[in-house]
Amino acid sequence: MTEQANILAQFSNALIESNVAANARVAAIQITTGRYITGSLWRSDVVITSEQSLPGREEFDLMAAGGATVKAKTVGRDVGTNLAVLKLEEPLSAANVVSAGAHVGALAVAFGADGGGHATARLGVVNTVASEWYSSYGGRIEQKIVLDIELARSEEGGPVFDASRGLLGMTTFGPRRQVLVIPTATIERIVPILLRHGRIARGWLGVALRPVAVPEALEKAAGQSSGLMVMSLTDGGPAANAGIVAGDIILSVDGASTRRMRNITARLGAESIGRGVDLRFIRGGAVTSRQATITERPSS
Amino acid sequence: MTGASKVLTEARLRVALSASDSLRHRALSRLLIDAGYIVVDVHDLADIVLADGDFIAGEKRPTVILGDSDQSVSGLLPRHADAHQIDAALRAVAAGLVVRPPAAKETGFAPMNEVPDVEGLLTPREVEVLSAIMDGLTNKLIARKLDISLHTVKFHVESVFRKLGVGTRAEAVAKALDSNHFKMIKL
Repeated sequence: MTEQANILAQFSNALIESNVAANARVAAIQITTGRYITGSLWRSDVVITSEQSLPGREEFDLMAAGGATVKAKTVGRDVGTNLAVLKLEEPLSAANVVSAGAHVGALAVAFGADGGGHATARLGVVNTVASEWYSSYGGRIEQKIVLDIELARSEEGGPVFDASRGLLGMTTFGPRRQVLVIPTATIERIVPILLRHGRIARGWLGVALRPVAVPEALEKAAGQSSGLMVMSLTDGGPAANAGIVAGDIILSVDGASTRRMRNITARLGAESIGRGVDLRFIRGGAVTSRQATITERPSS
Repeated sequence: MTGASKVLTEARLRVALSASDSLRHRALSRLLIDAGYIVVDVHDLADIVLADGDFIAGEKRPTVILGDSDQSVSGLLPRHADAHQIDAALRAVAAGLVVRPPAAKETGFAPMNEVPDVEGLLTPREVEVLSAIMDGLTNKLIARKLDISLHTVKFHVESVFRKLGVGTRAEAVAKALDSNHFKMIKL
């Protein structure tokens, strides 16, 4: 068999080349002595990583390609999109990357940092691509991308490339250690805000709710068969100020039915802060409504 | 030696304690002695190792670590685990079991819970009845508390059981504790 015809060798060599390219794009972020998570070099002086795995510290030591240690400061984090941004004290050289779209079945290579100045690689395919979704913290993620790759704990936060070395995004552990990708589009939207403000502002009503069935007698007046019962309110929060009390069953926020949580979350983005919204709810056997002014969610 | 005292002697496990912070070392050592363990140096003969923070490279004995998440270790506890948790974990790991804390981080980055289908949702009255059941109240006491007839309480309880797909009060409580239906939504 000629070298030309050996497709497996070509495939393997291509992977080696992409690893060489990726090596300069990962840095190991030291969590404790001997423990690391992976950071992806986003710009020459900006590293992004998985927010959920980054301890709440101001400063970290990073081990870059080749073993150089660089200090970095945490400049912003967002639980909603699982992104944390670190600013390097000295810039590293990083070749430009192009972002790429994810396609089901496409090859994906996920890179990590091993804590010794080298990159680690995992090969798999894109398992799922679906439309935008909202995380349990209310962050909007442009696309749902799942890989059929297993990652070590230290490899989370690394970049994922397709076969043409296009950047799909950053790896993140989902439920049951499923490997999700925070898409490049989400990173491009969130990172500049985190660099400027350190956080992503979200709208807030100050209520804890539980889904309930609307009592049959009220279904007609309510126009829906379920709602969210107010279990507790934050004193001085927007809902409390609007006169909402525990036991009220909220039916809609600004016309969006509480049947679909994502519709509600979509109405509580940064742009909603300061705006008045109509809360429609059931109290004492009748449907009524109040105006509440959305404020910024306090950092918890 | 009687059978009972033999068991007691065997129950005194030798724990090799490793903690680089001397204050932590002293506190953990105190805690272990109070719980009836024999504390030895990390290199001495021991039944089990308790390490504070970092994993000891090359350690082959059963190990419980405080504040680490190295999945190759049998026993993982949060850094601020209390005396009962440390005691329970040491005994479990010494017996060959694996111990993991129900860490929130293990759940990973998850999508928002959508509101469940209306078929499974309880009415506000049924929510009241269920929380009374969770408080351990009998039907008679629930009727008095909510100021409704015993017949009505029975009707609501049956409806709650049907919606939760359970047959007993204990099952209803268990279901209510771990079901998505009862997760609070914070807005």
